[in-house]
Amino acid sequence: MKQQDRNRLLYGMAVVMLAAGVAYACKDFLNIPAQGTVIEQSLETKAGVEGSLIAAYRSLDCSSSSAGSWGCAASNWVWGSVPSGDAHKGSNAGDQQPINDIETFSWAVGEAEGYLNQKWSQAYEGVFRANATLNLLKRVQTLKPLEISTTDANSIKGEALFLRAHYHFEAYRMWGHIPYYFEADTTPVTLGGFRKANDLPLDSIVKLVIADLNSAIALLPAKPRNGDLGRATSWTAKAYKGRVQVYGAVRTPALWDSALATLRDVQANGPFKLETSFDHVWTGFTQYRNGPETILAFQASIKDGEPSGWNSNWGERLNFPHSGSHFGCCGFHQPSYQLVNFFAVDATGLPLALTNPNWNGTSGLTAAQGDTNFAAGAPGSLAPVDPRLDWTVGRDRVPYKDWGLHARGWIRDASYSGPFSPKKNVHEQGANAENNVGWQATQTNDVNIHIFRYADLLLLLAEAEIHATTGVLDNARTIVNQIRARAGKVAQGCGTITDTILTKAWPTCKTDAAIQPMAIPLVAVTPTLDTLATPWAVYKIGLYTTPFISVAQADSAVQYERRLELAMEGQRFFDLRRWRIADTEINSYITRERTRIPYLAGVTYTARDSLYPIPSIQLDLAPLLVQNPGW
Amino acid sequence: MNDMLQGKRFLGAVGMSVLLALVLCGTALGQQPAPGQQIDVSGRVTAPDGERIRGASVRIRGTTTSAITDDEGKYSLTAPSDAVLVFNRIGYRGVGVSVGGRTTVNVVMERAVTVLPEVVVTGYTTQKRADITGAVATVDVAGIQQQTSTSVLQRLDGQVPGVTVEAGGSPGSRTTVRIRGVSSFQNNDPLYIVDGTPVQDTYLNWLSPSEIGSIQVLKDASAASIYGSRASNGVVIIETRRGRPGPRRVSLDVRTGVATPTHGMDDILTLNALDYFKVVKTSYENAGTAVPRNIYGDPNNPTVPAYIWPNDGKGQSCSAAGPTCTTVVDPASYKYPSTLIMPGSPGTNWWKAVFGSGQYRDANLAVSGGGEDNAYHVSFNFLDQEGTAAFTRLQRGGVRINTAFNMGRTSVGENVALSRERHYGGLDDDALGEDNIIGKNIMQQPVVPVYDINGYFASGKAVGLSNLTNPLKIADAHQHDISTNDRIFGNVFAGFDAAHDLSLKTRLGFNLGQNSFHGFSPTTPENSEVTDVNGINENYNLFTEWTWSNTLNYTHTINQHNLAVLLGQEATKNTNRFEAGSCANLLNPDVDSRYIQDALCDPTTKNVSSSGGQASLLSYFGKADYNFADKYYLSVTLRRDGSSRLGPQNQWGTFPAVGAGWRLSRESFLSHNSLFSNMMLRFGWGVTGNQQIPAGRIVSQFGGDRGDTFYDIGGTSPTTIRPGFKQTAIGNVDLKWEEQRSTNVGLDLEFLEGRGTFSADVYRRNTNNLLFDPRTPAAAGSAAPPIVNIGKMRNQGIDFSIGYRSSTGGTLWSVTFNGSHYRNKILQIDNLGTESFTGPISLREQNPVINMLGEPIGAFYGLVADGYYKDSLDAAPFWDDGARPGRIKFKDLNGDGTITGADRAIIGSPHPDFTGGLDLNLRRGAWEVSATVLGTFGNQIFNAQKYWYVFRYFDTNVRSDLLANSVVLDGPCAPAPSPRTDYICPGKVTNPDAKYPRLDNSDAAFSRQFSSYWIEDGSYVRLRNLQVAYNLPPAWIRWVPAARVYVQAENLFTITGYSGLDPALPAWSTFGAAGDIRDQFRGVDEGSYPSNRTFTIGISTTF
Repeated sequence: MKQQDRNRLLYGMAVVMLAAGVAYACKDFLNIPAQGTVIEQSLETKAGVEGSLIAAYRSLDCSSSSAGSWGCAASNWVWGSVPSGDAHKGSNAGDQQPINDIETFSWAVGEAEGYLNQKWSQAYEGVFRANATLNLLKRVQTLKPLEISTTDANSIKGEALFLRAHYHFEAYRMWGHIPYYFEADTTPVTLGGFRKANDLPLDSIVKLVIADLNSAIALLPAKPRNGDLGRATSWTAKAYKGRVQVYGAVRTPALWDSALATLRDVQANGPFKLETSFDHVWTGFTQYRNGPETILAFQASIKDGEPSGWNSNWGERLNFPHSGSHFGCCGFHQPSYQLVNFFAVDATGLPLALTNPNWNGTSGLTAAQGDTNFAAGAPGSLAPVDPRLDWTVGRDRVPYKDWGLHARGWIRDASYSGPFSPKKNVHEQGANAENNVGWQATQTNDVNIHIFRYADLLLLLAEAEIHATTGVLDNARTIVNQIRARAGKVAQGCGTITDTILTKAWPTCKTDAAIQPMAIPLVAVTPTLDTLATPWAVYKIGLYTTPFISVAQADSAVQYERRLELAMEGQRFFDLRRWRIADTEINSYITRERTRIPYLAGVTYTARDSLYPIPSIQLDLAPLLVQNPGW
Repeated sequence: MNDMLQGKRFLGAVGMSVLLALVLCGTALGQQPAPGQQIDVSGRVTAPDGERIRGASVRIRGTTTSAITDDEGKYSLTAPSDAVLVFNRIGYRGVGVSVGGRTTVNVVMERAVTVLPEVVVTGYTTQKRADITGAVATVDVAGIQQQTSTSVLQRLDGQVPGVTVEAGGSPGSRTTVRIRGVSSFQNNDPLYIVDGTPVQDTYLNWLSPSEIGSIQVLKDASAASIYGSRASNGVVIIETRRGRPGPRRVSLDVRTGVATPTHGMDDILTLNALDYFKVVKTSYENAGTAVPRNIYGDPNNPTVPAYIWPNDGKGQSCSAAGPTCTTVVDPASYKYPSTLIMPGSPGTNWWKAVFGSGQYRDANLAVSGGGEDNAYHVSFNFLDQEGTAAFTRLQRGGVRINTAFNMGRTSVGENVALSRERHYGGLDDDALGEDNIIGKNIMQQPVVPVYDINGYFASGKAVGLSNLTNPLKIADAHQHDISTNDRIFGNVFAGFDAAHDLSLKTRLGFNLGQNSFHGFSPTTPENSEVTDVNGINENYNLFTEWTWSNTLNYTHTINQHNLAVLLGQEATKNTNRFEAGSCANLLNPDVDSRYIQDALCDPTTKNVSSSGGQASLLSYFGKADYNFADKYYLSVTLRRDGSSRLGPQNQWGTFPAVGAGWRLSRESFLSHNSLFSNMMLRFGWGVTGNQQIPAGRIVSQFGGDRGDTFYDIGGTSPTTIRPGFKQTAIGNVDLKWEEQRSTNVGLDLEFLEGRGTFSADVYRRNTNNLLFDPRTPAAAGSAAPPIVNIGKMRNQGIDFSIGYRSSTGGTLWSVTFNGSHYRNKILQIDNLGTESFTGPISLREQNPVINMLGEPIGAFYGLVADGYYKDSLDAAPFWDDGARPGRIKFKDLNGDGTITGADRAIIGSPHPDFTGGLDLNLRRGAWEVSATVLGTFGNQIFNAQKYWYVFRYFDTNVRSDLLANSVVLDGPCAPAPSPRTDYICPGKVTNPDAKYPRLDNSDAAFSRQFSSYWIEDGSYVRLRNLQVAYNLPPAWIRWVPAARVYVQAENLFTITGYSGLDPALPAWSTFGAAGDIRDQFRGVDEGSYPSNRTFTIGISTTF
């Protein structure tokens, strides 16, 4: 019994100790920090600020947190190219149907909502990241004044402001009526923050973008910081400012003069130049990456340790020939018949469309010029085309860069969306630009995506020369000719002689060394006309030899040139809206194109299409947003 | 004796050092007998229904002394006061009972046929079944042990009123158990308590169902709130088998069988290549576009081609022969992987290529027994289950040791299970989704062959043959994808009987898991969309959870006042760490070379990462149960829980509950009625909590991702890629408990001398402060939205079960029917600015699900289909939207003259109106027959498979009746190249009752907008289980005292109107930033592994 008492004592003690142990353990038992993440304070260093800025740049194209559809693509091919008449959605009828809705201005189905939201989210993610950088920089400067040198701090701030301007401008181009977010907009979202109204007048949005760009210009160095070619400089910001001013001039004509001043300054004093030849503009060859023509580009990278290829040309990855080709998928963003025909030139090498009302073919499918250009006969009977056609469009029986002969078997469903393939965004076989990871690695590459390039700027300057009170009309001709002269440097050559289909079709590729390279020079026939006949095409490009005498003449020459030069680069739809000719141009395009592409039957561009609808999910989430008229 | 005291002392030391103390419930209560003294013992042996059992043998363990019960079920004998009496009777389960000094030992023997046990394990203690005032259901363990699914969770289907179970047919698939509907936007899994240790696991595959001794389901808060924090969705208490005092029993259960899918896609799809082409041809002709000629040649005289992908594939889809259109195929030019040659097939049955029969084997060996001071149960089990899909398989092996030692007032013991599972085939959870084995991949066109001319896998490489992957290739490539789960689960416990009516118990539960996965992704040169890079990925997860609970029990009875008090404290902590790695471009894809090493793959593609989580819970609780004369019952529970997941100010939640019962049958006014032997009214009210959100969400998180925030700023690809940072999650320091208040009113009846039973419960569950992460405006960035407490939801419903058992002419039979109905409704959504938010998953740009105020969670949302546009006049108002004669007609609900997203409405709900189960048992002599039928009624399925087999998205195969049953116009309606104003369509619909819209290649998006056309009734009735067994008499085989042989069939037939593969859909594994959100995406058929029809034979013996 005594033993038992002792036991009882022991157990009593055990219970007491147990209770004590529990009480002690509980003190911090429920305080567990989040795992595998960092708190904001740990970013309050130079590295943290720089990293935040890097993330702001990264929003230029789709990323692993934003993708899901291709509405986020840096090139705007979905928004700027497909609905403009440059291209069709491509592929087959069912795949990525939302782009078909966008192309046909039929928003009823509602599938395009996801695409719209993607674009909106991509733009505002960029704004958010830029503002986060500004706020973090400010905090670090307060807390640790010596952490970041003034030079770096100025540039970081300038870069962030530049990016904020760019992302807002992207949204502005899409929707017009957008909310503008500053770094001071920090009310937590749980307390109603980030739900600003979009009640600013359109011209004041432009002013805000320009104000940010002005601040950026004042802060940024003239050369990219640390030699990082992807960074914005004061010249990038200045060039961009000119672009915004041109866009703003639609509503505020006085901006033409400002634009002219800005763009002339960039032309005269800036670091940008045209590439020597057109094939160097869109390319996977490293030596031409970030060449003098690049103003702002998404810096695509491959083999960078990212296992899915997110940092490559993600937004463009569907835009490759389909299964018969090396790339295998997916045949999107197919150039339209009309675009192909637009490259037809007259005997002087000027656009046929300037002089011949039948430039876009005269009857149905089979007679479309786009088909006849290459389908029949001896070289002499081929209709002449601008050499840029075959750097822009993949056509059957024409070499596809250095990948061999483009063939109908590369097309997913020609009866649905025509026989052509996109080409600019495609890397060259010899460029070692192809990725090695993820789904369909053959269509991810590190071809930089041009967001703004010098030829684009020059053509905007040409517009300013035409419309600014201080402009010189004929300067526009000089610019157009400058661009055409560059376009006349080289044309598509055989590219490869190992492709048996190619050598079977064009035996001279085996025998004629002159046409074997991928890019072959045109021959100057006169000082203003270059030409070249290959087995598959007759290339011809001429200069405008007589001075422009009217605004209308100059406008159409510049507008035509802009389409030829920037075709498939996601610009045309925004240009058509800016020029206020979207309704006539697009509707006349549809009238002809629907004879070739049946699903365009019944499609019309209407007034409301001058601004895209704000994604309804965002209207729901931020009730102060007001939908655009007509939607 | 001295040894024993030594043992006690030793134990005391252990108790102090490990801080374990106290009593195993039920084994050490009561007085200490004076051992060895001979006393007279008598008693009565009855069945649970009170029937007296005659002819039962009563033997003193370890002796030959025995007695037989008389007609009244009575026996008497003289036995040592510490003896163990062993009761046996054919047809009943043997029972061993310690005399424990008593002179009267009454015993209840369970029939081998279903009967309810008397004592059930509820929160931290046991209660007499009759004393329970909450909604507690006991699962018929014998019934669930007949089934063959790997996890016990799947076997709960149809067993318990109010409990629904969803799972797919893949071996070891995940299970979604829901008790009384859905109460949260977040995880709605019940809490499982296995041998006292809480666990949240939707597989529970490591627990061999043959080891289960009992299962109780606590459905309402008054019963469950003792588990407070995680009990909102109900609690399932599982106790494994224990040894019982008595002779050593060795039991062996062996069974084997074969499973086939309950239904095949080959019953649904077109199997003939030329028949399929007719669909293609009609679709193109109706659209007015040229019919492709590249596969079948002349559309008017189509033939199965010799090759769908000749050696020189580049001319494959040219419209006519020509210089680039090669028609001559030279097999000698074949070269893998660059120059494949695939023969055309007159009709490949892709279903049969992948699905067939799978073997099933299961063996369980258990040894159990015990003396008056110890009990043990040791078991070994092995299961090998082949999937019905090629190369899928699950193997499981496990060992369990359950022991208890009783040393006077002290008892210690442990329940430990070790298990290993290996899943072969690398299926995602139930192979859901369009890119998995089923999905759209089974919808390859019939003209595509399984193999090319050299025996490599073929696929639809030519234009127009779809972008699918050969499903057999997927299965083959993943056959060495192995997921291994090792688990050590169990607890050690100690109890101490401090005083006559006071006992203390401590229990340390542990759940240690280690999971690994090795996967391979092949190149697919045969595909239309080629993947020319192969790769491997592997991952490891280490999971640790411990739960330490300490309880104090006090029971006291004075006269007719019975009081039981429980006080307790519990701490839980879990930690996990996940490591993943991948590498692509293997030097050698052989299984033995699939390691992540620089030399074995392309080192530039190597990628590793790790992540982890930690969370803790701390709880204090108490419960008092009082009853007076077994007539009036009152129970009060209070629990306080602290969770590390919640904000510092709101970490603690208080969860009270009360229960009351009134046994009317004990009242004098009813006590003499002849109809009801028991009548009890029960009432319960209580609060439970939910904090099932990821840990660490009270603070904002920052970080980034190489594919999201890193950027090659130097522009050199890839050498200047630099790290980038962003906010990754928005924290909410005010996070608090999601709380549920539930009320339950129940009635239990026993009638006709206990042969009939009826039990019904009516309940209402109101959830407040719903945890959810409402989407933030894009302007707030891509950081995961804050988790907030935003709304209210209600579930109300009724559960009932009615049973009757009787014997008719020597046949013992019983029938039990259980049913339940619930209605879920979202009552309030704050903070969103709207009254709805869409579901978490978009299927190809369209979202079929919405959570809307006033509607149930996860309702289907879309346009309202209303037949077909019958002519151009009918279609004219919506012509611009895409309306044409023969396309699906939609209602312009808002009357704005266009068909837009604004015309969408609630078009269905995945929640059933009624679910029920019917159990039948028959026993005659040595024969037993049992059957379970279950049914679900009124639920709808969103048949997303229509994307493929109706709308032919991506050129997939289609339903075999598509051509015959689609709308036909009596004139053309192809687009004509004319101005829009002249756009006239002379064709009129000739068959408005057709099942499918007009085949029209240009109708690429209009008809297929998500609408009520996609909704189907998902009701079904299924014969879940049918077993015929024969009990071999004990002496039949000399050394086998008893054996039971049986044949069994599962899912023998299904009655359903659902047109898809299987109406029993598993729930998608759906995770949002705030955790498991499966319940926002239920009832969507995106292609899942069908249920199995399994035939097994087995034998159970006891030595």
